[in-house]
Amino acid sequence: MSWASATPPGTQPGYVSYAHAATAYTPVPVRQGFGQPYTLQPQYAAYANTTNPPPAPAAPPAEPQQQQQKIDWPDKVRSYVQRSFESKNMLPDVSREEMEAKLKETISHAKDAGIMYTTDWDGMPLPQMLVRTHRAALLEAQQRATTQMLAASWPSPASAAASTEPARATNHHNSKKRKSSDFSESDPSTGNPWRSNKKLLSLSDRISQPPGLDSKSLKQAEKAENRKQRFNTAEYKTYRSPSPPPPTGPILGTCTNLEKNYLRLTAPPKPSLVRPEHILHQTLDLLKKKWRKENNYNYICDQFKSLRQDLTVQRIKNEFTVSVYEIHARIALEKGDLGEYNQCQTQLRALYASGIKGNAVEFKAYRILYFIHTANRTALNDAIADLTTADKEERAIKHALEVRSALALGNYHRFFQLYLDVPNMGAYLMDMFVKRERLAALANMCKAYKPDFKLRFITEELAFESDAEAAQFIIDHNGQHLLVEREDSIVFMAGNAKQLFETARADAYRRVDLKGQI
Amino acid sequence: MDSLIKEFRAAYAGQLGNDLAKTLTPDVPNNAAQLMFVWESGNAQSIKDDLKFLFVRDKSARLNMSSDEAVGWQEIYYSYWKALGEVLAAEGLRKSRVKTSWTSVYEAWKELTSQIIRGYTNHEFENWTIPCLYVAGKYMRLYAMRADAERGSNGDDMVTNFQDDFDPETEKHKSLEDCARQLNRIFNLCLSDRAPLSESRKWGIYYAINLLFKTYFKLNSAALSKNVLRVLSAGRGDMPDFESFPKSQQVTFKYYEGVLAFLEENYEEAEKHLTLAWLLCHKGATRNMELILTYLIPCHLLTTHTLPSAKLLAPFPRLQALFLKLATAIKKGDLRGFHQALQEGEDEFVKRRIYLTLERGRDIALRNLLRKVFIAGGFIEGAEGGAQVRRTRIPVAEFAAAIRMSGGQDIDTDEVECLLANMIYKNLMKGYIAHERGFVVLSKNGAFPGTGV
Repeated sequence: MSWASATPPGTQPGYVSYAHAATAYTPVPVRQGFGQPYTLQPQYAAYANTTNPPPAPAAPPAEPQQQQQKIDWPDKVRSYVQRSFESKNMLPDVSREEMEAKLKETISHAKDAGIMYTTDWDGMPLPQMLVRTHRAALLEAQQRATTQMLAASWPSPASAAASTEPARATNHHNSKKRKSSDFSESDPSTGNPWRSNKKLLSLSDRISQPPGLDSKSLKQAEKAENRKQRFNTAEYKTYRSPSPPPPTGPILGTCTNLEKNYLRLTAPPKPSLVRPEHILHQTLDLLKKKWRKENNYNYICDQFKSLRQDLTVQRIKNEFTVSVYEIHARIALEKGDLGEYNQCQTQLRALYASGIKGNAVEFKAYRILYFIHTANRTALNDAIADLTTADKEERAIKHALEVRSALALGNYHRFFQLYLDVPNMGAYLMDMFVKRERLAALANMCKAYKPDFKLRFITEELAFESDAEAAQFIIDHNGQHLLVEREDSIVFMAGNAKQLFETARADAYRRVDLKGQI
Repeated sequence: MDSLIKEFRAAYAGQLGNDLAKTLTPDVPNNAAQLMFVWESGNAQSIKDDLKFLFVRDKSARLNMSSDEAVGWQEIYYSYWKALGEVLAAEGLRKSRVKTSWTSVYEAWKELTSQIIRGYTNHEFENWTIPCLYVAGKYMRLYAMRADAERGSNGDDMVTNFQDDFDPETEKHKSLEDCARQLNRIFNLCLSDRAPLSESRKWGIYYAINLLFKTYFKLNSAALSKNVLRVLSAGRGDMPDFESFPKSQQVTFKYYEGVLAFLEENYEEAEKHLTLAWLLCHKGATRNMELILTYLIPCHLLTTHTLPSAKLLAPFPRLQALFLKLATAIKKGDLRGFHQALQEGEDEFVKRRIYLTLERGRDIALRNLLRKVFIAGGFIEGAEGGAQVRRTRIPVAEFAAAIRMSGGQDIDTDEVECLLANMIYKNLMKGYIAHERGFVVLSKNGAFPGTGV
């Protein structure tokens, strides 16, 4: 009730409904005013925020107030009342009753708040004017409510900016919660843990679920479910209606900064912090320039992530989106950041599938190579299933498929030929598993060949750049004793290697980096 | 409504679980008229009171059930009636004032399912009534899929998402994913029952698991089934014997268990489960037998290097189309034929997830080809005038010629050696390559293990 003393009298909308019951004035209507949606009209909101009045002087008890019938009205008030009733001041659209009610309200408010002697009664708008402004404010509030509903009930930019501070506090709270447990059982909004997964969650909980942890959290939820079932309590909670529905629909950003640091969302995004598409176009150009000039991956990755986030929250899915993901994927590939690369690739797959143009062939080929690297057969099968007949005729895809087939059949000869001639940036991906395949090939050769062959043969078959590099590779895997110098060349004692490369191969396969797998 | 409750009473009095479940079955194609009758016999204002009367107040017909249990059933039939209304509207059999969708059917049916689950946890339902759970789960899955399909075709995928990226799978399978969670509740409801086996809900577990498996496969997350198997094997001790469950449930379960192992490339394990499913499968269930063989045949190819006989495939034209050409090519050691057959069937193979497995059949085709070369090499004088022995030193060039002929394309000697090395590495051929001298030395005893030479 603190604002009662701070806002100009007569603007308290809460009084309106009691206008006709003027005699029965009690402080109660003031309380009701809080519940009204228009208490925070923008023009007053700023005022209320900045002055931040001291805690309300406890409203005087109503009864003694009413008994105090005789009051010594100041002259200024008397003249104010007089002026209000002057016929030249009457307004056609404000009835006399309305005006009288407003007048009564204004004065008693001033009396209650103890500002009767301090108020500038000469400068105070007449009650009929107040009624008018109030109507206008009401209308505006209604309109605003409607447009807000249309705009997915996001706060308008102005009020959003004003409420940044509390929001930040909330964020902090949420992130703390997430750390302790993804699905805290005591969280009343989640109820049954099965419901808590994904869509039925309250917003903030949902966003905190890191991508790629689906099965893990599912398992967790399953455990929780088990626990609950044990005590047969789940059913009570199942029927709790879900917490207020999350606002639906995309937002429209208003931020105009080109650069923005990436922050994982823990609350619905604020339009003031989200860049609209035309700004994002400029951002992308800037990032491309910076990448060429500075080559700072940490910076670029962070910027691209925030760029992607802005696209997602605004549900922008078009060719620009595709190009953002493609460029980020290429940069991530170049830097060997497979986690980011895989996130981009997953998105690209969906984007291409929805018919948006881009370099689908190039990325479908990468996708195959990537799943060869991660040795994910299920995903590989899916990747092949995605291909159309026309795709299979494309050079890059053909190449990737041949790589796959060569490896499936253990045809290292063919594999290393393909390694020497990779379209686009596929070599970055192949580099990641070429060592593993060299070990596999060596394990293979050591079992099949006896007693020895020239080192040169390894250099050629396994696509080393020189004999020295091949020798180094063997020495790195403790095979120095297998290299023997003959009069004209170095030979490799394949027959003596036994399990050496077999063990190394098994190790290499076990260590497939599955970071970022979905 | 009265007639439905009459059926309920009869089933309840006789403890006939399947009959009971029938009263909750919205089998529209076969039963439209009757379902319409049930729907029309109730109305939104009075249905609750009617049911209350039938279940709680009508002392004359009160069965041997506690009033608590009666309340449970009353709630179930109320939910059923509401869900039925949605179903009939979505099927276009009745006009509804509000827009109908399969999503609302799904939601209504989910509500019913929850009521039934609640019956067991809160209203002392006995275990002979579990067929009701089956019906609930079965239709919930169907409705979830129709809801997803409907949303997909409407292009209505406005799922709120504040992750950094879109999650395409989630948007496509919103209802079915939710359905999987509900099915998991049923699974846990059965699993967690501690009553003695004779009156335990554990008897419902395989039905629930099979539904879950189906759902997970459809969701493209077959890996989640592993969790179910893990929970199951942990609790196997206090479970009824697998053999005492209905055969239909055993077959389905073994089939999925086998396919899961197959997807993990654990072919021995897969073969074990699939063989069991094959043996238990009803001989009239052609479709199921076909499905089992789809995975069992590639399994056999890899584990025992055996191919399906024409007699085995005879009753299954679809499998013949899938495997016959491939099998013939492998048998003949026809590399080009194998390549062609694999390419022709690729789409189908990929769809069934057997492409990558079948591809390995090429090794067997190659083995058969090399074996022919070995046999064609004939015999030479044994050492020191002994008996004739097979020629075991074979020039790489001979193998290369055979591979060129059979494969129909040129191939350099190094690649041929690579293929030979693979044969040796995979134990399909015994011997070694002498690279510098350009020939292969094969083992005198069993150069091609398991083939008689």
